[in-house]
Formats: sequence, C-alpha cells, structure tokens
Amino acid sequence: MSPERKVVVKKLAYRVNDELADKIREVMKSKNKLFFNMMGSIGAGKTLILEQLAAKLSSKYRVFVINGDVATTIDADRIAKQGATTVQINTGGGCHLSAKLIQNELDKINIDDYDIFIAENVGNLICPAAWDIGAQLNITVVSITEGEYVVKKHPIIFKNSEIAIINKCDLDGLGFNSDVLAEDAAKIKSGMKVILTSAKTGQGIDELITTLGIEL
Amino acid sequence: MHEYSVASAIVDQVKAIVEEHKATQVKKIIVSASPYDVIIPELLIEAYGIITDDLDKFKGSTLEMQNSKAEITCLECDYKGEPAEEGDPEFAYNFICPKCESRDTHINMKNLTIETVDLVIPDN
Repeated sequence: MSPERKVVVKKLAYRVNDELADKIREVMKSKNKLFFNMMGSIGAGKTLILEQLAAKLSSKYRVFVINGDVATTIDADRIAKQGATTVQINTGGGCHLSAKLIQNELDKINIDDYDIFIAENVGNLICPAAWDIGAQLNITVVSITEGEYVVKKHPIIFKNSEIAIINKCDLDGLGFNSDVLAEDAAKIKSGMKVILTSAKTGQGIDELITTLGIEL
Repeated sequence: MHEYSVASAIVDQVKAIVEEHKATQVKKIIVSASPYDVIIPELLIEAYGIITDDLDKFKGSTLEMQNSKAEITCLECDYKGEPAEEGDPEFAYNFICPKCESRDTHINMKNLTIETVDLVIPDN
C-alpha cells in the first residue's frame, strides 16, 4: 500500500489570479495605459455610462472595452457604436471577470494599438469585489433607484473601489434621493471619490473623465 | 456564487502539487479562511465536490475548512494584525485599529489559504 504524506502548502487560494492581475497592471503601467474596472448591479447604468465615455473619448483616444455578461453581445454592440473597440466575454454561469479572462482578450490584440482599457464587469455587487482583474482603478456604480441602503448592504465592493458613481441622479427628488448614497460611499472608505451622474442626461460624465486623469 | 471559481482555483493549485510529488491520489485538502473572506464554507465544499467528481486523482477526497484570524491594515499607523473587537456600528467590514484607534483601516478579505494536502505517493 502506498504511503500517505501530508504536504504543507501555505499558499493563498487567489494566488494564481492575483499574480496574473499584478502582471497585467505592470504591463499597463509600463506602457503608460489606463485600465479601469467598472462594477455594479444589473441595471445600475454601467453600459450607458460607458457609452457616454466612449462617445467623448473615442475622437482623441483609442478605447478598448471588455464587456462581461452571462450571455449576449448586447453591451459590446452598444458601446462599439460610440467608437470604441469592444469584445464581449460570455461567462456562462460565471458571476465575475477574472485576470485570466482579461489576459485571454489582451493576448488577442496588440496593447500598443490602444490607449484606454475598460472592463465592464458582470452585473453583481458581490463576486467581482473578490476578483482582481489587474485594473489600476476600480469603480463601483450604484443607481439611486436601488434604494438608500445599497452602499451599507454591500460594503466590500466599495472598500475595494477608488471611485463610487451614484447614477440616475436625474431622478433625484422624484421619490429617490442621492444624498444618503453619496454620504455613505464617502464615509465607507477614506479617499473615496464620489461622483453623481446621470448617464441619461450626461451629468457628471466630464467629472468622471477628469477624475480618471484623462485630458480631453 | 463565486465559490465555484474559488474551488477551481484551489483544485488547479493542488493539481500542480500532485504533479510535483508524482502522487496518485489526493485524500484531503485543508484550507483556512478568516471570518471576513467572503466565502460560504458549505458552498465551497459543495463546489469542490462538483469540480472533482470526474477527476480520478481527486476521487473520494475531502476539502476541510479551518478558521484563521482576521487581519486589518491601519491606513493611519500601518498596524497590521487582528482588529479591535469592536467593528464600526454603521458600516460592516470597518474595524478599529487596536494601536491608534483609527477607523481608517482596511480588512484583508483574501486570506483563504491552502494549508496542507494529504497525498498518496507511491514508493520509488
């Protein structure tokens, strides 16, 4: 009978993903590229914000957007119409993007052909928070229609973000209120930049561009 | 449910260990997680069972979970270690630094660690 042996491992479960994420960040930094990760619930307005961004940025910058969704190419098709190059990842049942999924797409292109890289993560306020995809900035979008406790209920994703976007502010005062969400997002993490937007009207999009350090 | 992804990441790492040691069978994997690692143990163990069901070298193996200590980093005084017991009454996952009492701390939510793997390794 073959002997059993206990092997001491002591390695982090996320190690392979996080090492690849660090590598992606290093490559982007060394090539002076901007790569940010946009997270948020289904229906928060991530895609419409990215359509607004793509429309404003594409005349000056070469924008590459990776869209994560369980199925369809709807989001990638929408953003492509605004001048960005887009690719859709269908995760099947997967509830988040990962560094490997991002690297797979980067391997298919020449990074030097683009200036700005954006990942629109799968709509979800829980799982994407745990998976580093190699972005330099993490943005979480919530809309005021999601209720005034949505920041308090999902602290992890905000603690893992540098920018919080409170979207659908055109509905402010119409039974919805952006104040509590903006205050909670500012309090939950020091240094958090909070931006009030309406992707529908374009409110706050220029502020987002400035916050990202992009010159128009 | 990202436990499936986490279980896959564990299995991938253990596959490499199996290769390294020329093992014929995995018997048991022990992982440790802190209370704030955003993992539901029952779901992780269930996902492990699904993933390894058709992997010969993992047949009959078990995944066991142990508790590890929570760890914060204080963004004011650079303290790294266990938080003070009292968390922020307003925001979950916010903890007080036991050294300088600042609430400006970061809780490490990725402590999940593969501790040991029990393998069957044939004699040479």
